[in-house]
Amino acid sequence: MSRFQHIIPSGLIFAVGCWIAFVSFTQQPAEAFLFPRLIASVFVVLSGWTFGKALLGKSRVGVGINRHMILNLTPGLFIAGIYVFWAAKFFGFYTASTAAFFILFSLYDPSPHSEVKTWVRRAITTAVFMLVMYGLFSLLLKVYTPREILF
Amino acid sequence: MEFIYYFGDVFSPVSFALLLVGTIGGLILGATPGLSPTMAVALLIPFTFQLEAAQGLILLGAAYTSTVAGGAVSAILLKIPGAPANIATTLDGHTMAKKGDGAKALQLSFLSSAVGGVFGVLLLIFLTPLLAKWALAFGPSHLFWLAILGVTVIGSLDSSSVVKGLLSGCIGLWLATIGFDDIMGAQRFIFHPSLGGGINIIAALIGLFAIPQVLTMFAKGRQASGAEVIEVKKHSVLDATKEMLRWPRALTIGTITGSIIGLIPGVGGQIAGLVAYDQTRKFSKHREKFGTGHPEGVIAAEAANNAMVGPSLVPLLTLSIPGSPTAAVLLGGLLIHGIFPGSDLFDNHPDVAWTFINSMLIGQILMCVFGLYVAGMAARVAQVPQSIMAAVVLVLSVFGAYSVQSSMGDVYVMACLGVMMYFLERFGFSAAPLVLGLILGPIAEANFIQGSMIANATDGMGVYFLGGTLNLFLIAVVVASIAYSVWMEVRVQKLVARGEAKS
Amino acid sequence: MKKLILGAALALTGLASSLAAESYPERPIMMMVSYGAGGATDFQARIVTMTAGNEDALGMPIAIINKPGAGGRVGWNWFASQADADGYTLAAYNVPHFIAQSIKGGVQYSTDSFEPIANWGADPAVFVVGADSPFNSMADVIDYAKANPGKLTFSGAGLFVGHHIAALQIEKAAGVKMAYIPTKGGGSAAMKAVVAGEVLGGVNNLSDAYRAASNGSVKILGVADLERSEFLPDVPTMMEQGLDVDNSSVNFRGIMVPKGTPQEVIDKLAADVPKMFENKRVASKMSAGGSPMHIMTRAEVQEMWAARQATLEELLKGL
Repeated sequence: MSRFQHIIPSGLIFAVGCWIAFVSFTQQPAEAFLFPRLIASVFVVLSGWTFGKALLGKSRVGVGINRHMILNLTPGLFIAGIYVFWAAKFFGFYTASTAAFFILFSLYDPSPHSEVKTWVRRAITTAVFMLVMYGLFSLLLKVYTPREILF
Repeated sequence: MEFIYYFGDVFSPVSFALLLVGTIGGLILGATPGLSPTMAVALLIPFTFQLEAAQGLILLGAAYTSTVAGGAVSAILLKIPGAPANIATTLDGHTMAKKGDGAKALQLSFLSSAVGGVFGVLLLIFLTPLLAKWALAFGPSHLFWLAILGVTVIGSLDSSSVVKGLLSGCIGLWLATIGFDDIMGAQRFIFHPSLGGGINIIAALIGLFAIPQVLTMFAKGRQASGAEVIEVKKHSVLDATKEMLRWPRALTIGTITGSIIGLIPGVGGQIAGLVAYDQTRKFSKHREKFGTGHPEGVIAAEAANNAMVGPSLVPLLTLSIPGSPTAAVLLGGLLIHGIFPGSDLFDNHPDVAWTFINSMLIGQILMCVFGLYVAGMAARVAQVPQSIMAAVVLVLSVFGAYSVQSSMGDVYVMACLGVMMYFLERFGFSAAPLVLGLILGPIAEANFIQGSMIANATDGMGVYFLGGTLNLFLIAVVVASIAYSVWMEVRVQKLVARGEAKS
Repeated sequence: MKKLILGAALALTGLASSLAAESYPERPIMMMVSYGAGGATDFQARIVTMTAGNEDALGMPIAIINKPGAGGRVGWNWFASQADADGYTLAAYNVPHFIAQSIKGGVQYSTDSFEPIANWGADPAVFVVGADSPFNSMADVIDYAKANPGKLTFSGAGLFVGHHIAALQIEKAAGVKMAYIPTKGGGSAAMKAVVAGEVLGGVNNLSDAYRAASNGSVKILGVADLERSEFLPDVPTMMEQGLDVDNSSVNFRGIMVPKGTPQEVIDKLAADVPKMFENKRVASKMSAGGSPMHIMTRAEVQEMWAARQATLEELLKGL
């Protein structure tokens, strides 16, 4: 794995560490920020050490990221992001979850998209799972989730 | 021996039916990511309105017992700890499941849970007055040192690099300071309204463990079916019992550590599993196997977190002071029936008190029986195709994070932490030390501030934090723990160096 | 086929909601409690709302949601800034806590952010000491504090909550300086500090102290209220012991909605909720749990809020 890959995350963490240190040493009241100051100091030292090691190319732990992985990940992450940050609240939990489940399942299901049987199986799996979720959270535990469309 | 007299009450038809419902329901709730024992018990309180006091408590006691054990199911099969108590179980349990030994891991976890749990309840039955005195002996300064002891575990926990382990812990400690400071009420690092309440530990737990799992499955892409089907090995209960008895050290250390830590008010069962895991590893002859699917890891962690159940109720039952969030919820369940825990409970309502305690004892055994029964079937979860699993875990995470406090903010925090953790894991950081930091930060901070306020008004900081037998003992344990870690680290590096020289 | 079912289902739910729209409430109501599950406020909130689903009350159940943190600031901040003002989101208030916090600043709410509905309970603060403590009256405590200024440690549930107000009033009335130790984890953590002997005394809720005292682990030395409590007829008030402490610190608990909630909804709740509190089952469960009830209507609560605002501004001026 390239040295470059290690530099980015450790650099980011080092930057976060410096920001935390800056905030905790400038904010008041001092008593409330005593503990953050302590943590920030250790944070800066440790993240600086890691960053330095990455710059020197001595970081060996971790498998890193490759192009193949990112290509596979992006569509799923994108749909999951829409689901979590927007659709769940906008359409209501059950509607959005049903849609997200079906889309994500279909997207990563290796069975051929051209057969009707595949689609039936996907629809049934989604329906069964959502029924279980409804039974557990709405009927048994009575958690009131946001509902806009349908239940 | 008064408790034996009330065993009959547990086996009356209604009580026993409730015990069964509580146990089975508790296992299911515990296995659902996002439902911690505290929440499960709180959700059951309305059901007890209609029941008699003793019956209501049977339901709550059984549910408490089995949710703690049920959390191991999702920890082992999905690498999502059901509650902070089950974090240590993921470390070896999930690795075992990935190798196809899911059934064995589940059986071991239920068997050792039952051993630890029964021991804990027996402590509650026989040593309550003595234990109550111990529980009160832990003041702010002692809790502070105890939290520091937890911090020393961070560096060596589930991370291939000590510095990155410590840095992960530091990130966790910092995340814990977000939100309103609990004592002064000052606002710290609130850069989005969702963070006003701080980072909820259960939501964080789901995000840090479940979301990286989902993303890892996504990253593998559309695999042709059959490419990576895990063969789930069958494993008999008898073999699992033998296996557990092969590791008496892990079982003993787990049970004892869990009982002691469970007793201490304010620390609760959250760290019992992790501390027991770490101690067992330090004393084990197979130190290097931990984290690679070693049975000792599962046994120690699960024995500890069920052993804590009984002692965690000691301060509540004797002094009427809830020592953990779950105990606080149980207090509500008692008060609704007009029963005050403490001398009133044991003197005027012995039937309620002992039926409750007995039901936890029987509940441990029932939990084990049901757990073993489903272990074989549950282990098949490993065979569910990744495309379904990823979607299932994602939707469960969203529902779980939301239901903690009915808050969308928690869902957003969960998702952000999860994506961050996925990428950090690629570079050698890990979730377990981060969560440990998140749990220990507030304990260390609140007790330090409270202790220093008392110290400034009385004897001064030095005497308050460094004086007294218990303080000195805890400091000695902290020093020994650090020294041992360093020594092991040096020894391993020497061995590696020698190995390299030879080859 | 799927579209058809979806369409039919949509039509059905649409029909149902238009029929039900005439009568609020048409779905379960949520009530936010800004303290943890199992605390005194949470416990009482669960009892007083348990009959909400009955026909003679609201006809819909009320679900309790806990948003604990920083002495209640987290929950009330959320309620003032993020809760929907549609009548389906209620909250429990604790006076003087939220008023004192809003005067002190750093929060997004004040008495103007909320509309009170009704009050269900009044829980006075009491002064407790460990069972084996040498103190037997408030006079003993004050004498010790005079002899050792700033050294008498006593616990309470946090800063700018009822316990802290009582502590400030006691210090002011006696003209002494004592060391108030706020604890994290509410009244039960403060009580534990007293029972374990970590501190010399403590201010706590009457309901929790009554339970601890009947268990023999603490002694109650005084009640910070205008009259003695029916639960503790033998314990004198602070005033009887010569300390000028009124009922400013009494923890009033009740239900409120965010500003901007439709007036019809407020009126309906203000009419129905006090009746719900008066339910016999509620009263018996409350007294069994050692929790004093004090039912007040919306108008009475508005008056009480305004009065507290004035006294607390005066008391907290110097801080």
